[in-house]
Amino acid sequence: MAEQTTRVMQARDMQKTSIQQKIASFLGKAGIYLFLFLMAGIVLFPFYWMINSSLKSLAEYRLSPPTFWPNQVLWTNYADAFTTANLGTLFKNTMIVGIVSTLLSLVITVLSAFAFARLEFKGKELLFAALLATMMIPGELFTITNFATVTNLGWRNTYTVLIVPFLVSVFYIYLLRQNFLQIPNELYLAAKVDGTSDIKYLWKVMVPLALPTLISITILKMMGAWNSYIWPRLVANDEAHRLITNGLRNAFTDTTGDVNYPVQMAAVALVSLPLFLVFVFLRKYIMSGVSRSGIKG
Amino acid sequence: MKKLVSLLLALMMLLGIAGIASAETVPAYDGSEVTITFYHTMGSNLTTVLDQYIAEFNKLYPNIHVQYTSVGSYDDVRDQVSTEITVGTQPNIAYCYPDHVALYNLAKAVQTLDGYIDSTAEVTRADGTTEILGLTAEQKADFIEGYYNEGLQFGDGKMYTMPLSKSTEVLYYNKTFFEANNLKVPTTWDEVAEVCEKILTIDPMSIPLGYDSEGNWFITMTEQLQTPYTSATGDHFLFNTPENQAFIKEFREWYQEGYLTTQKLYGAYTSGLFTSTSEIKSYMSIGSSAGATYQRPAKGDDGNYPFEVGIATIPQANPDNRKVISQGPSVCIFKKDNPQEMIASWLFVKYLTTTVDFQAEFSMASGYVPVIKSVAQNPAYAEFLAKADGGDYVSALSAKVCLEQEDAYYTSPAFNGSSTARDEVAGLLTKCLTIPDGSDVDAEIQKAFNEAVEKCNYSL
Amino acid sequence: MVESKQQWKAWLYLAPAIVLLLVFTVWPIINTVVMAFMEDYSGLASIGGETSFRIGLGNFTKVAQNADFQSALRNTMLLCLITVPVSTVLALLIAVALHAIKPLQKALQTIFFLPYVTNSIAIGMVFAAMFNVIGSVGTRRPLISSYGIINDVIRFFGGNWVNWINSGSDYWANMFVLIVYIVWNALPFKILILLGGLTSINKQYYEAAKVDSTPRWRVLWRITVPLLSPMLAYVIITGFIAGFKEYTSIVGIYGESMGPVHAPHRLNTMVGLIYDSLASNNQGRASAAALILFGIILVVTLINLWVSKKRVHY
Repeated sequence: MAEQTTRVMQARDMQKTSIQQKIASFLGKAGIYLFLFLMAGIVLFPFYWMINSSLKSLAEYRLSPPTFWPNQVLWTNYADAFTTANLGTLFKNTMIVGIVSTLLSLVITVLSAFAFARLEFKGKELLFAALLATMMIPGELFTITNFATVTNLGWRNTYTVLIVPFLVSVFYIYLLRQNFLQIPNELYLAAKVDGTSDIKYLWKVMVPLALPTLISITILKMMGAWNSYIWPRLVANDEAHRLITNGLRNAFTDTTGDVNYPVQMAAVALVSLPLFLVFVFLRKYIMSGVSRSGIKG
Repeated sequence: MKKLVSLLLALMMLLGIAGIASAETVPAYDGSEVTITFYHTMGSNLTTVLDQYIAEFNKLYPNIHVQYTSVGSYDDVRDQVSTEITVGTQPNIAYCYPDHVALYNLAKAVQTLDGYIDSTAEVTRADGTTEILGLTAEQKADFIEGYYNEGLQFGDGKMYTMPLSKSTEVLYYNKTFFEANNLKVPTTWDEVAEVCEKILTIDPMSIPLGYDSEGNWFITMTEQLQTPYTSATGDHFLFNTPENQAFIKEFREWYQEGYLTTQKLYGAYTSGLFTSTSEIKSYMSIGSSAGATYQRPAKGDDGNYPFEVGIATIPQANPDNRKVISQGPSVCIFKKDNPQEMIASWLFVKYLTTTVDFQAEFSMASGYVPVIKSVAQNPAYAEFLAKADGGDYVSALSAKVCLEQEDAYYTSPAFNGSSTARDEVAGLLTKCLTIPDGSDVDAEIQKAFNEAVEKCNYSL
Repeated sequence: MVESKQQWKAWLYLAPAIVLLLVFTVWPIINTVVMAFMEDYSGLASIGGETSFRIGLGNFTKVAQNADFQSALRNTMLLCLITVPVSTVLALLIAVALHAIKPLQKALQTIFFLPYVTNSIAIGMVFAAMFNVIGSVGTRRPLISSYGIINDVIRFFGGNWVNWINSGSDYWANMFVLIVYIVWNALPFKILILLGGLTSINKQYYEAAKVDSTPRWRVLWRITVPLLSPMLAYVIITGFIAGFKEYTSIVGIYGESMGPVHAPHRLNTMVGLIYDSLASNNQGRASAAALILFGIILVVTLINLWVSKKRVHY
């Protein structure tokens, strides 16, 4: 009898705690959502302001105090951003540079990451540390020397100059090496015994396993082509090779040397849009790419 | 030892001068096929004008091919050119500001123009007519002196740049308000203080005057007061003087009283303050003559402008020593191995700067003013000027005011570091104006001046 | 035998990367080092025929004596020490929160990624506009046209407006704006990495915690953080490296003068010093400043690595 009562009580207690747990978990969830919405609001706010500015006339943009929504919505700013720059060529150039440099960069990255992850050679650790150290140097100073180099090579105003100098990214090699390290070495040794060539092994085993990482590298690299500004402006600012950010930014200086900020804002929004869409559609791959690379010191 | 060095230096200078002197005799253009490159900052509305006149130029010189690139902003042009100079691929012609040329001169990359200007060599054009390579006496006299002299301010008396199109600062005022309240448009700084005080009694919610460029303000004051600013040679940074500190101190008082503000102090464009329809606004605005359309209020719902804009010369410290800044692009020609390229470049520059029709059209399209006086006789431009008013044709009004003060233009010395000086005095001005009451104002001003000079010297 | 074969194969695979790095990274570094020891070396002046640059430490002492040097060093350090922890903690919380929800997860993830795809200078201008107070501030008769949207929000909730970036503004108000901007900018990458790490954590750890009905924060601190420590270490180290290179965000908000109007240069950073010297084509001094910065980054990174060796669980 007594035993039974305790059992019932225990059951009641269990029920009670589970309700408590449910309430707590509901409140917890609500709290989580509140926090996320708040942060999302903060993240989105500057974008609202950017869009707001991009739809104003320059006169209204200069108005003080600023208006929170344009008195007169000027969609033409977007059209202006489109037409003043020669958008067709800009897109074509950016795509060519983006695709070619991504492909070559992938090959180089895969080969190097493979060497660092699977092969044994003298000075491996030292070399890898040296590579990582180069990431710490402020890149501004490379510009002048590199400019001289590409000019001496006769690469100015070619696609080559936009592609070759930045093919190697220590960061990508690092990312991919981490990924490769997670693939059991036994697979490689077994393949060796079977007499499979390195390249075949890379192509058949490593690359498929590392696909998400490769996809995220691809996207980062494409973004690079999309957003690069200082270097392309310096080395290939001719009509035939100009890239998108550069082209769009050039178009906004008006006659007095002033920048037409609303149109520039429109251009920034336009330039960001394709990247944003890429992220929306490939989010899944980017995410798993990052998670699989399992970054470890 | 020191003597020996200076002797050697003197000797080298002599040799250098001799070298230049021998280069002064410039050969004429031989009609050879050359391609010249031109970097500028023009937007598409201006390149249309440029295209048209390149075509005209090619009727005279079909073998000179002009390729231009719109590089971006003025700073972009400077960065691009200075990087290209290091590998010898600089363009033939570039838009420039004096401090850019000073930078390029480190590499001795800019061609001095005296040899071309003085050349009397005859050049045959494709239509059978001839011209002299240099400038005729009439052509030289046609240039507005202040603009032309900008090319000479590099400390060695040589001509480095040609003015292409220019602007200055003008005083925009709310004509409707001034007339309604019977106010006199100030011509001197003393009158500015009086008018500001009056405006504040009429409208306490206003900041009577907005000055858009702090740097221009400081430099213009030193010109008007004939106090030191900088020097292209010797000790560069001379602006730390009691006189300059004194005028800054007075402006601080005015700022504290709420008479005036600047773009940075106000936190937004002073043109926006001037054209504002809200309670807080200004009734006077000093800004670029090329930005006249920004100083015009937006039309109201009835299709009329809320007020009429008046334009006058900026206030002066001394009516007998009128000074207004000269700004806007000049062009310079870079040294090249092929002398024919440089001569072709010169011919093109000469064409752009001395062709009345081009100067007229370019000015109307850009809001800048032409650099030669005879443009006033161009029918299209005369018609444009005749339409001048405080509303739709405010650009014409501003151009008219510029043309009336052509004797007052000054340019400040240019050297590597002159743009630092400009930035520093701009910062210095705002820093001093905001010194709060109750602190040791004199000591703070002195400190700010010392720091600015120190910062300038570091840049060397 | 296998070893030596691997040797040349490894070098073969690495060849393209090494050749490119030698040309476009190592050579510029060597050049930088050389220029740093040539006093007041200027590329343009050397084209102009100036060949005798004194060899010595002059560039380094000049940089160190610059009135801005100490404040640049302090600003850079402060920015790192504040923005890295703040953005890491925020990113961690957001990542954990994102990981804990089902509905709207993807939409929110996308929103948090947004700052990654925008141009930092343009967004800097937007931030400046949001914090900008328009009017005559700090005069005897203050007149204010616009408090800026941030102050509007503060005033809406009954607070006092703050002079964030305008004339007369306080150093810490300036820093606050910078920190908000830098953290905002740094979040997406960190969230991405940490969220990636979270998805690869074995669910069993959490099941165990659930059975014990451990409170959330305890789960976070005792399970999630240790399991995420490799990613956290990575995010912190790269965060420090990026923090030491801070420059564009300050230009975006304060313009080239690197400070509010009444105190130009006040927010200058180490990279800002490099640009100061590049503006007058003094590559010698710019190189020296870059090497000093490199030295600092190297030391800090080594410290970071040493700490993470002790703290990171693999």
